[in-house]
Amino acid sequence: MNTIVRKQMSIHPDVMDLLNNQIAMEMKASASYLAMASWCDQRELLNSKALFYKQAEEEREHAMKIFEFINDNGGAAISPNVTNVNNDFESLISIYETALEQEISVTQSIFKIFKAARKADDYITEVFLQWFITEQAEEEDTFRSILDIFGLMEGMPLKMIDERIPTE
Amino acid sequence: MNTEIHTNTSYQIEHLTFCKYVLRTPSKTISLSFPQMLELRRKINELTSYSSLNRIIDNENFVLLFVADKQHLIFLEIPQLLQLKEEIALIFHTPDTILV
Repeated sequence: MNTIVRKQMSIHPDVMDLLNNQIAMEMKASASYLAMASWCDQRELLNSKALFYKQAEEEREHAMKIFEFINDNGGAAISPNVTNVNNDFESLISIYETALEQEISVTQSIFKIFKAARKADDYITEVFLQWFITEQAEEEDTFRSILDIFGLMEGMPLKMIDERIPTE
Repeated sequence: MNTEIHTNTSYQIEHLTFCKYVLRTPSKTISLSFPQMLELRRKINELTSYSSLNRIIDNENFVLLFVADKQHLIFLEIPQLLQLKEEIALIFHTPDTILV
């Protein structure tokens, strides 16, 4: 990075733009989990409801981590618009399938920023993102395991499946 | 060949001190801090995306842009918008490492 901007910012400006997009993505994911939590809450699916409320908070925490990272490193974090949140679901399993797809696209997006940071020799962002990569692997595993429960308990009442869903 | 540069319509950005930049427009000179520069960069990048440029061309064909924490309002037509984008890109440009 050139010396003028480098003195003001520790991270690369193009990588900062991608991180700002990531904040928007994490906040959208948080809003999406909130919609899923509401669907479950209305149907007394207590474990699923608890899991999605927790997920909504976690996604917001991820967004805040990136938000503060950008500002702490001299950049400008942008508070995103969150629009077009889907509140309409057909079944509990479709919610979990959507959640897994959402987590996979978040992981892919983080990989994209990681690659950009590496290409721009932005080691600060690269190291910062390592935590997110580990976290994403865990998130994907959570939803994959829950979808396995649906497969194993096929045909059982929804309430019984919900009771098997881990909340921690 | 006419190589005259029309400086009266040009937009320039200069880096003055550690955290002070100056945007020279045909009508005024605007002082910018680094966060204000970042905000200008974000707005210009947003306005010069393919879809945004098409929308501007299809409608009013100009943009009015607040800069420096809304202390100034600048009028930009498409060529000036693109010129400003290049000026900002130059400020933020990272030259490739030269191996000696």
